[in-house]
Amino acid sequence: MSDAAPSLSFATFLQGRRIRLTPGGLFGRICVALLLSMVCAAVLIGLSGHNPFAAFAAIAQGAMGSEHQIGASLNRCTPYLLAGVGVALCFRAGVINIGAEGQIAIGGAGAAAAAFAFADAPPIVAVVAALLGGALAGAAWAGIATAIHLGRRVHEVLATLLLNFVALLLVQQLLAGPLGQFGAGFLQSPLMPRSAWLPRLAGFDAHPGFLIAILAAAAFSFVLWRTPFGFALRVAGSSRLAGAYAGFSLARLTWGAMLIAGALAGLAGGIEVLGVHRRLIEGFSLGFGFKAVTVALLGAIEPLAVTPAALFIGLLESGSLAMQRQIGVPSALITVIEGLTMLFVLAATAGRK
Amino acid sequence: MIEFLAATIRIATPLALAALGGILSERAGVFAVGLEGMMLAGAFAATVGAWTTGAAGVGIVLALLGGAAIGLAVAFVAVRFRADNMVTGLAVNILSLGLTSYLMRVLSGGAQPVSMHLSPLAPWPIPILSDIPALGPLLFAHPPLTYLTVLGCLGLTLFLGRTQIGLTLRATGENPEAVFAAGANPLMMRMLAVIACGAIAGLGGAVLSLQQVGTFTDGMTSGRGYLALAALIVGRWTPWGAAAACLVFGAAEAFELRLQGFGAPVSSYVIQMAPYLIALAVLAGMGRSSKLPAAIGQALQRDH
Repeated sequence: MSDAAPSLSFATFLQGRRIRLTPGGLFGRICVALLLSMVCAAVLIGLSGHNPFAAFAAIAQGAMGSEHQIGASLNRCTPYLLAGVGVALCFRAGVINIGAEGQIAIGGAGAAAAAFAFADAPPIVAVVAALLGGALAGAAWAGIATAIHLGRRVHEVLATLLLNFVALLLVQQLLAGPLGQFGAGFLQSPLMPRSAWLPRLAGFDAHPGFLIAILAAAAFSFVLWRTPFGFALRVAGSSRLAGAYAGFSLARLTWGAMLIAGALAGLAGGIEVLGVHRRLIEGFSLGFGFKAVTVALLGAIEPLAVTPAALFIGLLESGSLAMQRQIGVPSALITVIEGLTMLFVLAATAGRK
Repeated sequence: MIEFLAATIRIATPLALAALGGILSERAGVFAVGLEGMMLAGAFAATVGAWTTGAAGVGIVLALLGGAAIGLAVAFVAVRFRADNMVTGLAVNILSLGLTSYLMRVLSGGAQPVSMHLSPLAPWPIPILSDIPALGPLLFAHPPLTYLTVLGCLGLTLFLGRTQIGLTLRATGENPEAVFAAGANPLMMRMLAVIACGAIAGLGGAVLSLQQVGTFTDGMTSGRGYLALAALIVGRWTPWGAAAACLVFGAAEAFELRLQGFGAPVSSYVIQMAPYLIALAVLAGMGRSSKLPAAIGQALQRDH
């Protein structure tokens, strides 16, 4: 899941970078894949009897038409970017982590529990404690999957996938019990204590989560390219044999990547709960983990692409309701675009990472 | 008790069909993570076919085609273009979820999904056998696709174990180079296996929509494809083993449904975890002895 050959010298490292940015190289292939999925989407819109350009314009307008909408779009991108960075790190290490879906949900529950526990603390302490609670809960959930994977040789996709379903049910159980609001009629927690709310930037609806996510993406790039851990990840990811030969502990690399990914996904869940809903709601993160995989797919191939990939998906989704309202094209189209983008990117870049 | 067992069989049937398809795919060397999307496409196509023509047979044919179409996408991307099997499966699951929801709304011409209501397929009681007390209604009075599932287990066992092409398919999953050396085309074998997997899993989806619910709703498979995937692994890639695993998962869900009715002290959410936890426990228990097809997930060169 890495460069054709691990970057063994600075010269090959530089060369590798140059190749990846040339049109016709990976970057060009990804662009062609994106273009193809948009063309398919346009055909589907056409089949429904609407004008594709009007639909795309409505998406853009709905996603970025006002400060309020830009803020909502950034909020939308945040969990995808945060969790996607973690999943991309796992991809780079050759670990296919499909568990972000469950880790985000558990992270949301962890953040909610911490927020209630620190209800009387000053705001900064409460927010930090709640976000840490989310990250720890997410990392713990990823840890369970990793332990099963490494300890019992269960394929990581199956371990993480099956635990997703358990995680969603566990959150429902918590909402039906200790974390729930009695008599609410559906599964949700009471409103978070005000001290744990993430502030919103004046004029925008954006919470600072997006900044945290951008920092995470930058840190991902730095760790991957500039640290021994990142180097080991890239070597082991492109060839398990080479990694083992170089003396890297594959188990420790897997633990490292999975725990970081779990913590980031948990943080994403915590930010969503504290910044957007301000309470834990059943299904608040439905589908987030799979979108994180889409984002990570691009990010694992080219780390610079994580942020635009998350923006792409977040903006599409954020503008999709406006498209449905104004043009009449069903917003489910966005899910189609996500699936197509994944397929085309996979086909265009397979074996060339 | 009879009711509980009947519910077990009912819940297990769509899972078992999907698992049978998945066995074909995995035995040929391609991870079957796309089962969920194949089932969903099959469930959708079956409903549209039966609803527009009024003939359940048309629905069943369309379910085969709908599932096969998703299989074709997997075959191209994962086999022909050699992309990662798991991520490709996930991608078609997302695509299938989006496409079925989108088309449901396009068909109605608005933002609301079209409502298609069918009367679920009627049971076909087998004469004489279905008159046996207790066992008769339980085993010999099912709708047609349930019998087909049992026949499918038998057929797939014979196909994999006793036919030349079944042998080639298994060899493709274990040692594709040997298949190539023997003069067969492992690439084509894998693509066909994945497409057939899609068709059979699509039929599993049709069981849900045509035989059990009588309509299609967004994402109605809700994770059953993943459960089928777990079942075929728990059943060690054998049709009868997978079917037995599906029955265990079905029993867990049937148990949960009955407990809800009684207002038992155990929370239904905890019991709903059972199939997933059982699958995890069995996988963990199998550990190194899981007997995964040796070449599963490994890409084939194009000129093979």
